[in-house]
Amino acid sequence: MDKLIAVLVLITLGSIMVNVGVHYVPVGGAPAAMATATGVGTGTTQLAAGSGLTGLITAAAMSQKPFLVILWNGALGAATMMAITMLVGNFIYVYGVGCPPCSAKVDKDPITGWDQEAYVTPGTEGHGIPTVSFVSGILGGLLGGSGGAMVYYALYKVLGMSAALAGILAMGFFYANAVLASYNIGGTIEGYHDPKFTRLPKAVVCSLVFGIVASVIAYYLSTLM
Amino acid sequence: MVGFTEIGLAAAMGALATIAGAFEDAESDVGSQSNPNSQVQLAPQMMNFHRYFNKAISGEPVSYMLYGAIAGTVTWVMMTKFGLPFLAAAAVGVGVNALIHMVFATTAHLGRMASAAEFGHPIYLDVVLSHLGPIAGFGGIATFAIVSLAYIQWALLKHPFPLPLLAALWGVTVGAIGSSTGDVHYGAERLYQHYPFGGGVPVAAHGNITRKAETGIRNSMDSVYFCAKFGNPLTGLCFGLVVFFSTWAGLFGQWGAVIAMGLVTLGCLIVSNRVEKKARESYGTYEDVEMDEICDPV
Repeated sequence: MDKLIAVLVLITLGSIMVNVGVHYVPVGGAPAAMATATGVGTGTTQLAAGSGLTGLITAAAMSQKPFLVILWNGALGAATMMAITMLVGNFIYVYGVGCPPCSAKVDKDPITGWDQEAYVTPGTEGHGIPTVSFVSGILGGLLGGSGGAMVYYALYKVLGMSAALAGILAMGFFYANAVLASYNIGGTIEGYHDPKFTRLPKAVVCSLVFGIVASVIAYYLSTLM
Repeated sequence: MVGFTEIGLAAAMGALATIAGAFEDAESDVGSQSNPNSQVQLAPQMMNFHRYFNKAISGEPVSYMLYGAIAGTVTWVMMTKFGLPFLAAAAVGVGVNALIHMVFATTAHLGRMASAAEFGHPIYLDVVLSHLGPIAGFGGIATFAIVSLAYIQWALLKHPFPLPLLAALWGVTVGAIGSSTGDVHYGAERLYQHYPFGGGVPVAAHGNITRKAETGIRNSMDSVYFCAKFGNPLTGLCFGLVVFFSTWAGLFGQWGAVIAMGLVTLGCLIVSNRVEKKARESYGTYEDVEMDEICDPV
């Protein structure tokens, strides 16, 4: 019974963290790949999964270490992937496409205070990854990576699954939450300053329900082994 | 304690990842996969007929997860059940994956182009045949590098995940990076070369892709020739840095890894902010540009 409660808490909390983390990741989908929307030029789920699963690899490398070590290594692994990807993305926007990073959703960057509107190409919703979106992306990586690591810890340490099975299940749970977040966002989001970010409570409820169901299934699977 | 051997292995993984990233992006350009594909798909509806290879097997991360998993699993089976050495086993694994990759590419392209028949768009069979080789070749090099770096991580650095799972997970990452970085160069710069440099393309003009090459009608191999000069190497650099730093940081022990990765993240933030500032100073604002000037092809 103790195990079930521990798994319930860890997987549900991990799911919510993944879902909230995905909301922080600045993604512009196909429009951003044409330099017509602010954010990284790919889909929400895709980028979140890329960073979160890098976090899973760095977290699993510390499998034998205490809980907090696994958690932080997962978080920073995902944040590192996000940061490098956004940096190189900006290189392409600035030196390849030739447009300055800017946001069309705010007049001034909340972090640097730089004007945004004048730099936005007419007819577009911004382009590139301005500083506020960059910071938001790092926060998203930290939350998503630690959420994934938390789920992995619950499966590997608490339920005693093999590292491979725990990794595969953690990946599945990660994808499920990333897709839930993606539906909530509906295509593009610039970061925590985007008006769409206020939709967050709905996502938390969805992940809560998913986390409870997933925990019970994971617990049942572990009893079969 | 960090040894030179481990750092060397992390660097070798980074080098393999650089190759994987560059060729993954080249494959996505020659096959027009991922986000820019939506514009290629949209073009026939706006009466812009083209000779691009138009495939989207799925999002890049998921398709590369599949390729990594197939190649990794076959390699694993060849090593454990048939006793082949790694390089021979990987050659078999990557070969099997290349066949499956070509089947998916053919069905995806033919399906997509057949759906454009209602706008009178033809299917060019020479495009199918001439592009399949580069698609399988670039995809094969990328997959081989992913399986190799997963092997180093599993066999030599003793990561708890088995080789096929590591190959699948790094496949997701390389797909996410290729889709996030290199495809912007292909999408924003190559598909719309007839627009003024530096301007994002208004959404209303998205089906209006460039169809003429330097000589004759453009195909997707012209695109990969263009993107190989900037988009592909930067994608490779990005994936190489991600693999190197995440592996290298792990060598510093449990908290050393966290600090090392934190410093890398902070460094990226600072460099990005400086690049943003420099771009704003160099390119200036769009205040004086007329809407028509941006929308109309020059």
